[in-house]
Order: sequence, then C-alpha cells, then structure tokens
Amino acid sequence: MEVTPEDAKESLAQIKKTAERTRKMVAYGGGDVLFIVWGVIWILGSMGDEFFLEKCQWIWFGLLAVGVTVTGLVAKFKSPVSSPTDRRLGFFWLFMFLYVGLWLWLLFPFVKIRSMEEGIAFSKHFGGIMFTVPMFAYVVMGLWLDRFMVWLGLGVTGLVVIGLLLLEPYFWFWMAGAGGGTLIGTGLFIRKRWR
Amino acid sequence: MAELDRVIHEPVRLRIMACLDALNPKEQVDFVYLRDLLAVTDGNLGAHLQKLEEAGYISVKKRFVGRKPKTFISATTKGRAAFGEHVEALRGIIEGGEAGGVS
Repeated sequence: MEVTPEDAKESLAQIKKTAERTRKMVAYGGGDVLFIVWGVIWILGSMGDEFFLEKCQWIWFGLLAVGVTVTGLVAKFKSPVSSPTDRRLGFFWLFMFLYVGLWLWLLFPFVKIRSMEEGIAFSKHFGGIMFTVPMFAYVVMGLWLDRFMVWLGLGVTGLVVIGLLLLEPYFWFWMAGAGGGTLIGTGLFIRKRWR
Repeated sequence: MAELDRVIHEPVRLRIMACLDALNPKEQVDFVYLRDLLAVTDGNLGAHLQKLEEAGYISVKKRFVGRKPKTFISATTKGRAAFGEHVEALRGIIEGGEAGGVS
C-alpha cells in the first residue's frame, strides 16, 4: 500500500488534532461540571455576603463543603484519565488551602473592626483575596497543564481587582456576575468545544 | 530510515495511538472516553484495541471504580517507539515528496 505526501500530511494533521484534544481532556477531565458547580457556588456565596453578611461565613462554609464533595466525586468517577497527577493536584489544592488557612488563623486576632462600615469594607477585601487564591492555583496549574488556565486565572483576578478598586459599592454583585459568570461560561465552553 | 507501521497506519488505530502517546507513561485513558473521542462503536474500538494489544503496542486493564467496572488503556514502551517511528516515516514522506510503502 502506497502512502502519498498528501496522505502523510492528513495523517499528521489527525495525530496533532487528537493529541491536542487529549491534552485538553487531561487538563480539564470533568472540568466542565466543576467550573459550573464552582461558578454557582461563587454566585450564591457572593449573594450571601451581600444580603446576609452576619451569617456569610456559615453560608460559605456550607457551600465550600458542597464544592469540595462534588470535586472529589467528579475526580473519582468522571475523569477520563487515570493518572498519578490527579493525586498530586489534589494535594496541591489541599496544601494551598491549609497554607492560606494557617495565615488567616495567625492574622485574624489582629483585625479590629470598629463599625458596620468597616466590617462591610473588610468583608469585600477579604472576599476579594479569597477569590484570588484558587485563581492563583489555576495560573500555577496552567503552567504545568494548559495555557488557557493561566489566562482564566489572570483574567478573573483582574475582575476581582476591578471590582475592589472601581466598583466597591457593587462588589458582591460584580463578583457574582463577572466571577461566577466567567466560571460557568468556562464550564459551558469546555462542554461544547472540548468534548 | 524510519518505516511506516501497518498496524498503526489504519486511521482509527493511528488516532488511538496519538491519544495514548499524548498521555504521560503512567497515565491510562478510559475506554468510554476513547470511544467518544474517536466516534466509533464499542465493538469497533474493541477490535482495534485487540489488534494493537496483540502487537504489544498497548496495555488494557480492567478495574473497579466505586462499584462499576472500567477499562483503562495505555501505550506500552514498544507502542510509543513504534508510533514515534511511524510519525518519523510520515514526515520523511512529506519531506521527500515521494510516496512510501506500508510494511
């Protein structure tokens, strides 16, 4: 059987396309569901901060518990690739949140809030920092796995900064729409384009 | 000079090997994902996997995830080497501008 240069070009194009889809699949296995779930959590949490500030830590606690549980289930049952990297990524997220939690625990005793206005402003800045933590993780993961994650992490971090600097009175609405919306949009994009 | 591989050259098997070669050596892909990626039936994919397995190019392992049995596929060292040589042969044909034969 003869293979012409045109056949060879077509074969190499098929190889390239399949390899690219595979690499994206490894980077985002089950990611469509996770981005959508975390986007919804982000929206609900932001609205909790806006309308139920005094109970917002419990709202976030419940939402994060749901998110972590769903993430664990998706990683176990929905990922199309069985990889030692999965476990390493899991530990990366765990250690990152433990590290952030440790510093919050060490620094919180020094936070003195004297009025409701200060409390509201503090909750926005604190929330903004917390939003950037998983985005920082995306950037780091993107350096290993896929450049799209780097742009997503930097983009959402930029939205947080814009919200804090320019739109502070509407910060939680902004984070619900721009932050949560971006995550949900990313999930839908992955579902449509990369499956 | 690198030679084309008859087992790998078939379009579905070429894409199976492209997918497996894109994974790290310790990674395995789920049968269902591979089937969807290639847009083939279970039986069709199974037949192609059997040919690749007989050639020693892939490893097929079944195990339980939760209570469900799942089949995972990975490329062997021999398979990666054969795929690499096949790709080199394809590049050689393009660079040489002449048709090549499948061994």
